[in-house]
Amino acid sequence: MFSLAIMNGLAIGVIYALAALGVSLVVGIMNVINFAHGEFYVLAGYFSFLFADALGWNPYLSMLVAVGLVFLFGIFIEYIFIRPTYGNDMYSLILTFILVIVLQNAYLLIFGPYPHKPPNWVTGATSIFNLFYYGNQRLAAAVAGAMVITAVFALIKKTWFGRIIRAASQDREMAELNGVNTAQLNMLSFGLGCALAGTAGVILTPVFPVTPSAGVPVALTAFVVVVLGGMGSMWGCVVGGLLLGLVENLGAAFISTGYKHIFGFIILILVLLVRPAGLFGRKEI
Amino acid sequence: MAFLEGVGITKRFGGIVALNSVNFRIERGQIVGLIGPNGAGKTTLFNAVAGAYKPTSGQVLFDGQDMTGLASYEMCRHGIARTFQVARPFPDMTCRENVLVAIINRRQSNSPAEQNRLAEETLEFVGLGDQRRTQAKNLNLIEKKKLEMARALATDPKLVLLDEVLGGLNTQEIGQAIELVRRLRDERGQTVFWIEHVMGAVMNAAEKVIVLNEGTKLMEGTPSEVVTDERVIQAYLGHA
Amino acid sequence: MIIDSGLRVSLRHRNFFIVLILVGATFCLLPYWLDDYRLHVVIVSLFYVMMASSWNLLAGYTGQVSFAHAAFAGIGAYTSGILAVKAGMNPWLGVMMGTILAGFLGVCLGFLCIKMGGIYLSLTTLAFSEILHIIIINEYEVTRGTMGLQVPALMVEYSKAAYLYIMLAATVLTLIIIYTVIHSNLGLNFRAVQNDESAAASLGVHVVQIRVLAFTVSCALAGFAGGLYGHYLLLITPEIPSLDQQFLVLAMAVIGGMGSFLGPIIGSFVLEILSEYIRAYGEYHVLVFGLVALAMARFSPNGLTGLMDRLGSRRSSI
Repeated sequence: MFSLAIMNGLAIGVIYALAALGVSLVVGIMNVINFAHGEFYVLAGYFSFLFADALGWNPYLSMLVAVGLVFLFGIFIEYIFIRPTYGNDMYSLILTFILVIVLQNAYLLIFGPYPHKPPNWVTGATSIFNLFYYGNQRLAAAVAGAMVITAVFALIKKTWFGRIIRAASQDREMAELNGVNTAQLNMLSFGLGCALAGTAGVILTPVFPVTPSAGVPVALTAFVVVVLGGMGSMWGCVVGGLLLGLVENLGAAFISTGYKHIFGFIILILVLLVRPAGLFGRKEI
Repeated sequence: MAFLEGVGITKRFGGIVALNSVNFRIERGQIVGLIGPNGAGKTTLFNAVAGAYKPTSGQVLFDGQDMTGLASYEMCRHGIARTFQVARPFPDMTCRENVLVAIINRRQSNSPAEQNRLAEETLEFVGLGDQRRTQAKNLNLIEKKKLEMARALATDPKLVLLDEVLGGLNTQEIGQAIELVRRLRDERGQTVFWIEHVMGAVMNAAEKVIVLNEGTKLMEGTPSEVVTDERVIQAYLGHA
Repeated sequence: MIIDSGLRVSLRHRNFFIVLILVGATFCLLPYWLDDYRLHVVIVSLFYVMMASSWNLLAGYTGQVSFAHAAFAGIGAYTSGILAVKAGMNPWLGVMMGTILAGFLGVCLGFLCIKMGGIYLSLTTLAFSEILHIIIINEYEVTRGTMGLQVPALMVEYSKAAYLYIMLAATVLTLIIIYTVIHSNLGLNFRAVQNDESAAASLGVHVVQIRVLAFTVSCALAGFAGGLYGHYLLLITPEIPSLDQQFLVLAMAVIGGMGSFLGPIIGSFVLEILSEYIRAYGEYHVLVFGLVALAMARFSPNGLTGLMDRLGSRRSSI
């Protein structure tokens, strides 16, 4: 019971971390709060279902194309809607809040209210330390999530692109003065943030099918993780995500399943009250 | 007993010591200048006196009372008013409304008619009478500074802290501003503590000048004493 | 103390009261002209006028953008409903209790948020709203969860016309309260805090008191509206304290114009009536609604009387 909860917690925690990374990136560079973050998760899930299930493509190809499309859609949204909200985090929160409703209802109209999921990549279950059997798809999801997170870390810490991102998030003006095209950078970063949400989406949808309203809980969870781990901190997202996953699942196992999601929100309020910078965060956003 | 007295005021921000055991005295009815190179801690001292910061240690005594660590709004209610280095009137409110905010929060409440009259009068005093309906964000620089001063005055203070009012003004405007400060003391009975970089103005109007450098008080004296003091000259040249 | 000396309103504003009475009187005649369905639309619009206006008081006048407003309507509704069903309390008394509880919890939330600004405050109110939502859904014994709680009406014989008069009176009361606050010295203090908290404090404004007061009044009014609305619908569901409802309230205030008195009123009526018309063409209405709100927020945030730029950059976060 206990060990299963831990396993679930860690597995979902990885995905939480992945989703949170996308939010953190966008907040750090553009000072924009994307409430619609979860909608990109859902969209990618729908796309991967569309390609793999309805059109019968190779599941891995479907995932790639889905994430790619979401990336492009993210850039489009950034150009039209997010650009005027730069630096004004309240404006972006309100605008993206409205965007959520629009997208949710669009999904409802296009895909209908019933859950959809692409086919599993792997089947069966594996024995974990001889304690219990765990679904292989879930294991695969956790592993895939961890791989993507590692890739993102490598991108940010090791490449020139990552260097630009880090510079811009620390001091936008200086970056501009040093020749960084911040408008383009913003577009790419936002697209990347959405792509990360989309990646979380395609990884997790085989386990948890998507519905039109599945986006908001994802976005809220990502926000909780980012606040918990500290805005602008990548390790914060990882640790925060894993912690949240553990707390939720342990809480669900031992206290109550219905109240599973309450822990995240309570944690959010407590963190903001006691240590607004989060576990790893910088003082400013 | 001094009107305003700072005793060993120290302020630390993490590892940085912004103010190091600063002592000073100001008598009622004086215009006292506060000068020093950039980063000396002048605005920090104001913030400590006006309640924006709580001193790490030391005391602020005002008119005999210990006011150390009181909140901004409490300091204001006790009679300490301040302006900000960058004039920040309420942008989306009219001049009249800006001044009214100060008036309605006074310790003694007045009737609406009286409040309106006071608002009119204060705006007239600084020369913004015909701008009463203008939104503060549409004012030019000198007008914003005048409004800033009007607001401070409207709190019915006993002591006014002016933070670099002359920055960015041309010669003629500087003359206007200095005249206004003098009138604060002469016509309104205010005591003025004044941070300023425009040396000529301070030397002209102040009776006493306090010099800060890197968080410590270097010296204090009459304007002519300060201007000729070796240490002061070094402090400014050293930061050139 | 502040309230006493701060709420004197000069005779300049008598025009407002005249218009209010005239419009109110006209609305009183509506039951003679409109059928039950249309009366329903008006009643719902009045609910949203109360909600959007009271939200605007908090968000548009003190700059505290709360996402918990619908939750407070829910507090009012569920409190009144539960008391009526479990304790047999008179619904009118229940509505009063709901309003008081909403006001009290508003004080709590206000204090909770006092150290936060901007985005963090909004996130906290969001979390508060979600926590409430989860509790309501889970405590089936008391709230009947997603099934909904059936509650009695405010009168012996259910009548749309009677409800119209009740909601009308409540709306008028709410608007009078809000108008008085806005145009009083308290209103000046609200706007001062919104424009620049530190400067306001240096002028003697008791910022904490002002911010918490704004929460209290705003949330109490939401609770009041929710309490009445619940007894109108006769069924209280978790839909009332939901983010969807919050979106509607926010959209109406934003489209109508935040930071102005008339904005939320106009926004509520226009959008509620519009959505009913669109509903006739199928389930597209929320989508169209959302698109309009989106376009508005994006292309003219300084909108009808909107003042969106007042948020964000002006208030520093924590």
